[in-house]
Amino acid sequence: MLILSIVIALATFVLVDFSRSSHVSPDLAKFMIAFTALAILGHIAIRRLAPTADPLLYPIAILLAGFGYGFIRRLAPDLASAQLGWIAIGMVAFIATLAIVRDHRQLDQFRYSFLLLGIALLLLPLSPIGSTLGRGVKLWVRLGPLAFQPAELAKVVLALFLAGYLASKREVMTITTARVGPLGLPAPRHFGPLFLAWGLSLAVMFYERDLGSSTLFFALFVITLYAATSRSAYALAGIVMFSGGVWYAYNHFAHVSIRICAWLHPWSATDIQCGINGAGRQIAQSAFALGSGGLTGTGLGLGHPQLIDPGLRSGTLPTDFIFAAIGEEIGFIGTVAILLLFGLIAARGFHIALRSRDTFGTLLATGLTVIITVQALLIMGGVSRLLPLTGITLPFVSYGGSSIFANFILIALLIRISDGEAVT
Amino acid sequence: MPTIVLTTLKYLFLALLYLFIARAVRVVYLDLVGPRVPKPRDGRARQAPARRRGSPRSIVVTEQDKPVRTFPLDDEITFGRSESCRVQLDDTYVSTLHARMFSKDGTWFVEDLGSTNGTYLNRVKVTSPSPIAVGDEIRVGKTIAEIRRS
Repeated sequence: MLILSIVIALATFVLVDFSRSSHVSPDLAKFMIAFTALAILGHIAIRRLAPTADPLLYPIAILLAGFGYGFIRRLAPDLASAQLGWIAIGMVAFIATLAIVRDHRQLDQFRYSFLLLGIALLLLPLSPIGSTLGRGVKLWVRLGPLAFQPAELAKVVLALFLAGYLASKREVMTITTARVGPLGLPAPRHFGPLFLAWGLSLAVMFYERDLGSSTLFFALFVITLYAATSRSAYALAGIVMFSGGVWYAYNHFAHVSIRICAWLHPWSATDIQCGINGAGRQIAQSAFALGSGGLTGTGLGLGHPQLIDPGLRSGTLPTDFIFAAIGEEIGFIGTVAILLLFGLIAARGFHIALRSRDTFGTLLATGLTVIITVQALLIMGGVSRLLPLTGITLPFVSYGGSSIFANFILIALLIRISDGEAVT
Repeated sequence: MPTIVLTTLKYLFLALLYLFIARAVRVVYLDLVGPRVPKPRDGRARQAPARRRGSPRSIVVTEQDKPVRTFPLDDEITFGRSESCRVQLDDTYVSTLHARMFSKDGTWFVEDLGSTNGTYLNRVKVTSPSPIAVGDEIRVGKTIAEIRRS
C-alpha cells in the first residue's frame, strides 16, 4: 500500500513538471528522494513502535501529503521547499508521538493540563504576540521569523481532553431525569460544558474571526458528547445552539454576513449585494475552475489556477483553494477519489474507535476522526459552494506548517490507539 | 509534448489513484468479514472433541474496563444492562435484556432474547437456543463469556 502511495505521489511531481515545460526540472530528483526517504522513515517507525497498527491510515496520509506537495510545487514553487521542510518536521513529530506515547491510556491522566493548554493555544492569537498577517483573520502567532497557527494544534489537544473528561463523566451525563416526548433529558447542569464549548467557539469566531476553527471545535464537542452518551438531547441542543449562533453572527458580525452573502451571490461582480466589491469572486472563480475540469480534468499541470487568485494576491491558493486547483486538473473523477480517501480515513477512524477496548480510546479515536473529516468537508464544501466558505486547510494536502504538524500528530495518535487494540 | 501522450498520462494517473483506493477498500472489506477461511459445515464442528468432555460448571465474564467475574452455572443466567439480570453488564452494545443461558435435560443452552446487536456463540450468531459445551465462547456486545468446567 505504501509503495503504491509513494508511486502516486512521485507521479504527481513528475507529471506536473512534464506537462508544463515538457522536461523535468533538475532539482526534482532531489525532492523525490527526500519525500521517499521521509515516507519510508515513518513506515519503519510504525513497524518498530506500533507493529500491529492499522495498515491503511499511514499510506493514505502519505498519499495526500505527497499529492498536495506536488500541487504546491506547481501553484507556488517558492513555497515548495518550505512545505517539504514542514512535512519533515511533521514526520519527526509523528515518530516522536509514537515513541513517547507507548499506550494511549497514559494520556488520560493529563486531561486537565490538555484543557488548559488547548484554551491557551486558542486564545494565544489575541495576546500581544498574535498577528493577523494582514488577512483579517487573527489566528497567527509570531515567534521570531516563524508564524504559527495555534488553533491547528489546539484541536488535537482539546480532543485529548474531551475524551478523558467524557470517559469519566459519561455515566452521570447519560442518566435522564426528565422526558419531553420521546426525548430523555439529562439533568440541566450537565448541559453546562456544552454552553462552555459554545461560548468558547463564539469567542474564537468573534475575536479571531476564524469561522472554520469555530465550527470545527463545536462540531468536535457535540459529536464526541453524543458518541459518549448516545443521548440525542445533547446533539439536538447542539444543533439548536449552533443555529442560534449562526443566526446571531449573520446579523451582527460583518465578516460573517459577507461570507454568507458571497456564498449566496457569488456571481454579482459589483457591490450591490454584499457591500464589498467582488466579495464572491474567489468562490465564483473556484466554481469555474471545478467546472472547466469536467469529468477527467485538464491533466496535471495544465489547468489555470492563476485565475482563481491572480498574482497569488491573497495567498490562499495553496491553502484554502487548493481543492479547486486540484479539481480543475484531475476533474470530477479525481476529486471523487480525494473524497473517497477522506472517507476511508473516516471509516478506519471509526473502526478503530469501535474496536478500542477502553472508553478513553474509543472517544479519542472518535474525536480525532471527527476533526479530520469535518475539516475536510468544511473546506471542500466551501470551495465547491456547498457550504459558506470558511478559511481552513484541507488536511495533509494544503500548504501550511501548523496544519501538517498537527495532522501528523493526530494520525500518530490514531495509529497508536489502533495498535493497542490488537494486544489482547 | 503531444497532447495524446499527456491525455494517456492523465488517464494513467487517475487509474493509479483508483487502484490505490480499490486496494484500500479491499483491506477494509477483509477487516469487516474476516479473512476467508474454509467454512465448516456446522459452525461448531471444528471444536476439538477433547474440549467438549465434561459438563459446564461456570462462566467467566470479561467486560471492557472491568475486572473479570466468574458465575457458577447452577441456575438460569440472564445477560443484560438491566439491574435484574444476573450478569449485569455496563456495555453500550448490550440490550436491557440481552440473552439467557438455561439448562434442559442436563444440557446447557444459550438463547438470544431479541437483542439489538445479537448474541454470538464461537463467532456464529445465535438464532435459536443452541447447546453449549466447555470451552465455548459467548459474545454479547463487547463482552465475552467463556464456558468453564470448574
